[in-house]
Amino acid sequence: MGFPNFTLDTSMLEEAPEPDPEFTYDLLILGGGPAAMSAAVYAARKMMTCAMITKDFGGQVRETSEVENWLGFQNINAKDLADSFEEHVKSFDIPVKLGTAITTITKEKDTFLVTTDDAVTYHSHALLLSTGKRHRPLNVPGEKELVGRGLAYCATCDAPFFKKKKVVVAGGGNSAFTTTLDLLKVEAEVTLVNAIKGWQADASLVERVKRAGTVKLLDNHEIVKIEGADQVTGVVVKDRQSGTEEHLAANGIFVEIGLLPNSDPVKELVELNEHGEVVVDCSSRTSVEGLYAAGDVTTVPHKQIVIAAGEGAKAALSAYDYLMRKSLL
Amino acid sequence: MALLKDKDKKKVATALKEITDDVTIVMFTQETECQHCEMTRTLLEEVSSLSDRITLEVHDFVADKELATQHGVDKIPATILVGEKDYGIRFYGVPAGYEFNVLVQDIRDVGKRDPNLPDTVRSELAAIDQPVHLQTIISPT
Repeated sequence: MGFPNFTLDTSMLEEAPEPDPEFTYDLLILGGGPAAMSAAVYAARKMMTCAMITKDFGGQVRETSEVENWLGFQNINAKDLADSFEEHVKSFDIPVKLGTAITTITKEKDTFLVTTDDAVTYHSHALLLSTGKRHRPLNVPGEKELVGRGLAYCATCDAPFFKKKKVVVAGGGNSAFTTTLDLLKVEAEVTLVNAIKGWQADASLVERVKRAGTVKLLDNHEIVKIEGADQVTGVVVKDRQSGTEEHLAANGIFVEIGLLPNSDPVKELVELNEHGEVVVDCSSRTSVEGLYAAGDVTTVPHKQIVIAAGEGAKAALSAYDYLMRKSLL
Repeated sequence: MALLKDKDKKKVATALKEITDDVTIVMFTQETECQHCEMTRTLLEEVSSLSDRITLEVHDFVADKELATQHGVDKIPATILVGEKDYGIRFYGVPAGYEFNVLVQDIRDVGKRDPNLPDTVRSELAAIDQPVHLQTIISPT
């Protein structure tokens, strides 16, 4: 008898060795998204000694369901794509420190010192910051307390939990509308709340949501409070024009109001723009010699997988040129 | 039908090489197996064949009701990993998909008698002095 829909994930069984704190690497790569993984492949092929420090492999790719703009694939499952990236990186003998956050980054002469949250410090002559972005919080009462208790930031991960439930989506851009469409698939009753006047999403997405006819659209309304003790029970929204507040009963809320760059560890070290993104030039160089940056954490426009991967490759090659020029290889 | 492909077998066998002590996998199914019970048993048979340190015990949930009760098993398919003692590790349903990683890692940890946790986490866990009920909600993605 055959077994239907049966998959076995063995990706975690190949554990790469951890980076050596006593060794000075040619390149340390911080992050595990497409930029970081692409950089790792290029660095390994250049025979640079490199190591990765990351919370996980895949980055934001693992938060989406399907990808339709990765060249060569009209449509590819996002998890499969991230798995294939990870498998490619693991085909090289690159030490990886997983599940770790970076606390500080400093530079002493020609050496970078990267300290992780378990108080271990790693060393390298060149450094690549490819730490991506994280979800921007609403910063309203109830948010911190109710994360994972009806408050979510990833529709791909969590939308199925809200089948036929009442859900508020915060945001007015593409992410908010995509989340709304995901929730409509599970027959959720959705209210979309946009704090800015006018929807920022692509017209086609707005049209699809409006065409569904079941979504309550609250434009120019801000969320002022999320209610619930152990679980989200409602949301208080305020009409920004009239100032009146309204209570919306809800089983859940998805916060889709943009992303923040993970640049905190270098905010005292390199130049950032007003959004906290690391300023890079066309060779992925930052304001600090030997420190490169790639992917969503940078000022490079259009946060796309293919762009991040390209920027990662470019950054690794630029780091290689730098190390050669400085006779550090 | 074999569930583990050759390349998966290789990875699992490599992971299980680290085992230094015996591991018993206790599985509960029933005489007329549901599809998921059969999948689980087949998977466990294949995994246990990859290390001499692993013994698989398959029990009937109905016929061996007393044993099931002793293990606190109230549904099947149930998979229990036992080392020098029962650590309370339970898998209900087929440990497939991402959970297959966890199954193999847990077998390895039990076989090494090492939970692979940092000292800080161990000391924090050791400080818990009252029963804690943990419920994990698993995301489908």
